[in-house]
Amino acid sequence: MSIASQAEQILDRVRAAGAEGDLIIDQGEALSLKAKDGALEEHKVTSSQVFGLRVIKDNRVGTAYSEAADGESLSALVDQALLNASYAAVEAHEKILANALKLETQDAQLSPTDYTTVAEKIELALTIEANLAAKPMVKNVPYNGVQDSIGERQVFSTTGLEARSKARMMHCYAYALIESGDKNAMEGIGQAARRFAELDPDRLVDRAYQNTFDILQGAAIPSGKYDVIFDEEILPSLFNVFSMMFSGKSAKDGVNPMRDKLGDEIADSKLTLRDLPLDTDGFGYALFDGEGTPAQSLCLIKEGALSSLIHNSMTASYFNSASTGHGTRGPRSTLGVGLHQLEIDAGTADDAALQAGEYLVVTDLTGMHSGANPISGEFSFGASGYLCRDGARVQPVRGITVAGNFYELLKRIALVGSVQHWNWERSAKMPSIRFTALSVSG
Amino acid sequence: MLQVTKAEDVIDHGLSLGADFAELFVERSLTNAISTLSNQVQSVESGIDFGIGVRLVFGSKVLYGYTNKTEAEELKRIMGELAAMDLRDPRVLMQAFDYSEPVEHHPAHRILSTDADVDSKVAYLLAADAAARVSSNLISQTRGACRQKEQRIEIFNSEGLHTTDARNYVRATLTAIASDGQDQATGMWSDGGLLGWEIKEQVDPKKTGDEAARQALVNLSAKACPSGRMPVVIGNGFGGVIFHEACGHLLETTSVAKKASVFHDKMGEMIANEAVSAVDDGTMVNEWGSINIDDEGMQTQNTQLIKDGRLTSFLVDRLGAAQTGYERTGSGRRESYKYAPASRMRNTFIESGDSEFDDMISSIDRGIYAAQMGGGSVQPGTGEFNFAVTEGYYIENGKIQYPVKAATLISTGPAVLKEISMVGKDFSLACGMCGSVSGAVPTSVGQATLKVDEILVGGQA
Repeated sequence: MSIASQAEQILDRVRAAGAEGDLIIDQGEALSLKAKDGALEEHKVTSSQVFGLRVIKDNRVGTAYSEAADGESLSALVDQALLNASYAAVEAHEKILANALKLETQDAQLSPTDYTTVAEKIELALTIEANLAAKPMVKNVPYNGVQDSIGERQVFSTTGLEARSKARMMHCYAYALIESGDKNAMEGIGQAARRFAELDPDRLVDRAYQNTFDILQGAAIPSGKYDVIFDEEILPSLFNVFSMMFSGKSAKDGVNPMRDKLGDEIADSKLTLRDLPLDTDGFGYALFDGEGTPAQSLCLIKEGALSSLIHNSMTASYFNSASTGHGTRGPRSTLGVGLHQLEIDAGTADDAALQAGEYLVVTDLTGMHSGANPISGEFSFGASGYLCRDGARVQPVRGITVAGNFYELLKRIALVGSVQHWNWERSAKMPSIRFTALSVSG
Repeated sequence: MLQVTKAEDVIDHGLSLGADFAELFVERSLTNAISTLSNQVQSVESGIDFGIGVRLVFGSKVLYGYTNKTEAEELKRIMGELAAMDLRDPRVLMQAFDYSEPVEHHPAHRILSTDADVDSKVAYLLAADAAARVSSNLISQTRGACRQKEQRIEIFNSEGLHTTDARNYVRATLTAIASDGQDQATGMWSDGGLLGWEIKEQVDPKKTGDEAARQALVNLSAKACPSGRMPVVIGNGFGGVIFHEACGHLLETTSVAKKASVFHDKMGEMIANEAVSAVDDGTMVNEWGSINIDDEGMQTQNTQLIKDGRLTSFLVDRLGAAQTGYERTGSGRRESYKYAPASRMRNTFIESGDSEFDDMISSIDRGIYAAQMGGGSVQPGTGEFNFAVTEGYYIENGKIQYPVKAATLISTGPAVLKEISMVGKDFSLACGMCGSVSGAVPTSVGQATLKVDEILVGGQA
């Protein structure tokens, strides 16, 4: 039986129960390779499928999922979702959208056919490990890999929605462990592409090695206040950690500190931040959100002023607003909100201005999942990077912490660079930003 | 869950491709998750996870795949794709299955396949919410969560192993949010174990609500934390997360075999202060990190990792044993059929000492008492770690002075082990989820309150 037929049967049962519903079906295939000491250490082949149902009956929402696709399990899926709904509180704002759109991504663009053989992918994995291991002082390459994954999502609803997206991502990564005397360091980097030929293993190896070698002799610096530039990998991570500040759902729940600050100056006027889901250069591309609402570009901070929160249909209804196409829902998760891919507008500062005087370039933050409080904005992270002066590195830095309040930090932007950079995962595109007076403990 | 004849056919096929070892890990899990927002049910979710993990080993190479389908042809197809580059004449003969049922160390009664007990769980969470909010009008909101899982597994391998097990997990958590109109702060309390909803008889929703609210109120009043190198007293229970992250992961053969652990060549050597003895124990009855058998079918055990400061054992799974030569310790664990097993922790803790809490505090001129720890991370290759302090106090002149916020502890595993100079008597365990190469598995961390003589504290003051 086809996926569409199974979906129709499930939704017919939902209708028969006097409910509305939508069904997400995720399918995927992936190949994962890891090398160790010149041989393949892991070779993983997977295929997966999961059905996730949301039903709404009498303004109560219930969800259930099943990885088993037999008739009995899918019947139980409907029954369980309806039972779960009976326990839920009345939620007048959550609805199955009256959305009968037919949406489909372009496979040629997002999921191109690639005739690379498994043998060629294995060769790539072995080459990356061998070439990095051959560099001076490299003890080993404990973490490395090549992955090729295709994910497909289909969303159907009782109101006639049929949305389908499919995307492919090939990526490789490597981390080198370098030892010299009593010093050691481990750093790495990754690459992502839609086609195998777009991966550049030589560049990957060179960057992974250089990142590790350069930080090896790092030492703490005196405690104090420093101007800081987070590199292109770290800056998007920092915004992600505090992304709750844009969440319409957190605003509805009363825990978003920006809830009542629409239009207020919450950042320096040099900052303009957007979410651009339709930029196909990025892997955060989305044609539609978790409810099947077409995704759209959205300005979040305009010249320092908070211009919008992100909404799904429920939070939008609560705030008497419109969905911004930021609903998140997976087969296993309830309706939430989430960003697609962030972009900060390029500023006017050239490198000479950004790099004038003394400043700290932070290339790694640790403890980002535990050392941050998105409600208060406070953070305290382990950090490493480089102390620089007038564009030149003065010393590598390790064993320090950086601490502050992210929401206050947004107001201490001295300069925004004129060139945007993708992070390696191609999920965010941002210029360098120089923040002032961040507390460093060494 | 899988016909024995089908399993036999598929494993035999794996060996016919030239594999040294073939294994099928079959899993069917039921889950139920209830969340509340203050005094309302926010959602009730449930699901069925089902799949089969296929592992082939050729020498030191591990090939792994999985599928949601049960047809022998699909399982053989995956094996064929996995082994495509390694095909060779058969090396090993399959051993006939010898079914064994593990000894049940962790009885569970109110299990998910019988009844999800939604009404009872909702009542518990709402009672905890009420307790939290009645404690202070500064408690603006609570978030409750109760998650129960029934995992049934069946393992077949080419050495004749055929076994089954059922694991029942339940965990209830309340997070309280305190607000004074300007600042917000959070506090959290959680109980859980390897048992059914009968845990309700052992836990008190009032205590859960009171404790979450107390932490939130302390944090709301907290001042900026001083920074720099200083002595730190780390509280019992979840304070053990530091040992888990900074040392436990470095003792897993997953990193030892790669020489990505600073302890890989330190067996038998003093790696910690002699005040430190530590174990990883899967046998503790109904504890969150316990198991009957590991995910490779081996009976669990109590493993002494460090005795009086000396390294006595690693955590060893099947692959780790082959790579390092150490005996297996029943430590092969995985989140689900989607992961190949790897050496992982169970209930891991520093054993009790004989120091008094007051003596630890009074020995410090300027330092921090980290009463509650949050999460953290570690880089296995270097042992560098960081941890958030979720409830902390400044110590000066031998006395606790005031609460501090946004503190982070930074050090390396080898360094901190040698800086632990005093271990107290108030041992307790706490639940956590540990993420690593084989996914997120339930683990307990634990210790008595202990003193670290010097550690880098990151704060804002």
